[in-house]
Amino acid sequence: MQRSRTMSSRYVPKVSRRSFLAASAGLAASGLGLPRVSYGLQPRGLASIIDLTLCDGCPGKDMPACVAACRNLYQKTVPDPVDPIPRLYPRGMIEDWSKKKQIYDRLTPYNFIFVETAEVEYRGNKSTLFIPRRCMHCDNPACATICPFAANHKMKNGAVVINDNLCVGGAKCRAVCPWAIPQRQSGVGVYLYVMPTLAGNGVMYKCNLCHDLLMEDKIPACMDACPAGAMVIGPREEILADARGRAEHINGFIYGIGENGGTSTIYISPVPFDIIDKAIPQGPGLPHFKPAKRRMAEASVLETLVMGSPLVGIAAGVAGAFSILSRRKGNEGGTE
Amino acid sequence: MREGRSKMSERILEDKGLVVRHSVLELFEHWAIALSGLILILTGLFQMPIANRYYINELPGLAWSADYIVSLKVHYGASIVFVAMSFFHVFYHGILGDRGMLPRKGDMKQSIEVVKTFFGKGEEPPFHKYLPEQRLAYLGMAVIIGGLIISGLMKTYKNLIDPQMSEALTLLATWAHNIFFVLFIIAFIGHMAAIILKPNRPMVRGIFTGRVRLDYARRRHPLWISEIVDHPVTAEDQPESEADTIVETADPEEHEITEEEASEDKEKEEPRQ
Repeated sequence: MQRSRTMSSRYVPKVSRRSFLAASAGLAASGLGLPRVSYGLQPRGLASIIDLTLCDGCPGKDMPACVAACRNLYQKTVPDPVDPIPRLYPRGMIEDWSKKKQIYDRLTPYNFIFVETAEVEYRGNKSTLFIPRRCMHCDNPACATICPFAANHKMKNGAVVINDNLCVGGAKCRAVCPWAIPQRQSGVGVYLYVMPTLAGNGVMYKCNLCHDLLMEDKIPACMDACPAGAMVIGPREEILADARGRAEHINGFIYGIGENGGTSTIYISPVPFDIIDKAIPQGPGLPHFKPAKRRMAEASVLETLVMGSPLVGIAAGVAGAFSILSRRKGNEGGTE
Repeated sequence: MREGRSKMSERILEDKGLVVRHSVLELFEHWAIALSGLILILTGLFQMPIANRYYINELPGLAWSADYIVSLKVHYGASIVFVAMSFFHVFYHGILGDRGMLPRKGDMKQSIEVVKTFFGKGEEPPFHKYLPEQRLAYLGMAVIIGGLIISGLMKTYKNLIDPQMSEALTLLATWAHNIFFVLFIIAFIGHMAAIILKPNRPMVRGIFTGRVRLDYARRRHPLWISEIVDHPVTAEDQPESEADTIVETADPEEHEITEEEASEDKEKEEPRQ
């Protein structure tokens, strides 16, 4: 979490969803053949902003527009589990959300984004914040790094995507995620065809940043649906500059740039995130706003040593062998 | 081993009734790779979500097993030893021309014959230092370890430097690592199972002490003994740490060997100079 340093009197965003769309549509319509802004194949990846000064929670709607759009797109893609779901040996624990699909106030396998409400007080001012929560799409995500089946991958465009054809639902990704984002649905997926009572436990689900849409140069459904324009996505460097500009403009706060070693989701808030964290519900499926250390960084030194170990072995082997050979040669010379 | 010349460490200790089969360095190589390999198997298994599920983390001293980051760090630590020693092994023995463990022509056919003898069919042929199936197993283990190291280094590179490595390459490295991991466990079980076979048991002390019984070696590995006898290692050749041992030639009359082996040995042996 970091605090912006200065406050400017007037802030003009350099990047916004609408400006990107306008740029893309305008250039495409002009037929000039100029390069369009590509959301899917940005070589340096994308990042997004969730601006809490703009999100109003969609008053008057049954559920926030971003949540509804996401559910509309993905809820049907999560299969219904087999009945009965195999009982796990020996613990017997399963997670079945298939009969609770209507829940939209937390993350579930059928709900990849939700909007939480925080009643906060900062500098004597009370206010209500509406906060969309989903996967942060970290820059070097442990959830993808240590998936034993490479079922979770950090794409070139920045999206962290779980392949539900490979995932066996071990929930390792959730265990190493600082926010415990991925959610498990038992009784679905490839594990059913192997040893369902002994290994695996379903499939993990989470926001994939609408990777398929990004590959078609379309923006994620939640952002497209947001009537307030509270969420934008674009080339990473420009989004980071935009985020800093927005934070400076309101003398506000940023969350997501440095958390877990860096993420692709930047929150902008007029209220410090430690205050927000105390005001939001806590528990499974409800990510926090605490500082998040990248635990994998603890292994960086060892990783470097592993990468260097072949050279150590080769150097020792060559030195040892030539030492023996020279001794042998010396002995032969002495014999002669 | 080099053709026609025994390795410097290999020599007969007639007074002790032993023959030196492995040097201290070779024992160190074996145990460094074996022990780090065992840790890698264990921590590799802990990279699967099994420790908590199967109460392994509730066993005394294994609470860490359910923490993926901790078990990964132990995995990395063991792999530093495993990888460095594997490369050392290849380069050190490769440069010195040690080829005793590499498969020879006819090893596959001969291995089948040897396996038959374990079930009472036929008799074992005279062996070199290593059995034909040991040479084949060595090659198999080398391929498996090579596959584990290459895929493991690719995964480490991804984790450290390039988290956005192409999905195809990530899948290749990950699944290759998993498949070689399973093969490594099977190979390890096979390696241990070889000890169960009674004829192989005298070799077990060799991997702990570096020495095996001379009568066993003469009876089962006469071709190896012949190589040592034909090309005795002089005191000058010997490593300083073992220079106090005596080189003696074998005397076929003093030991129980078959007539066939004895005649074969006699043809190859030369009297001590």
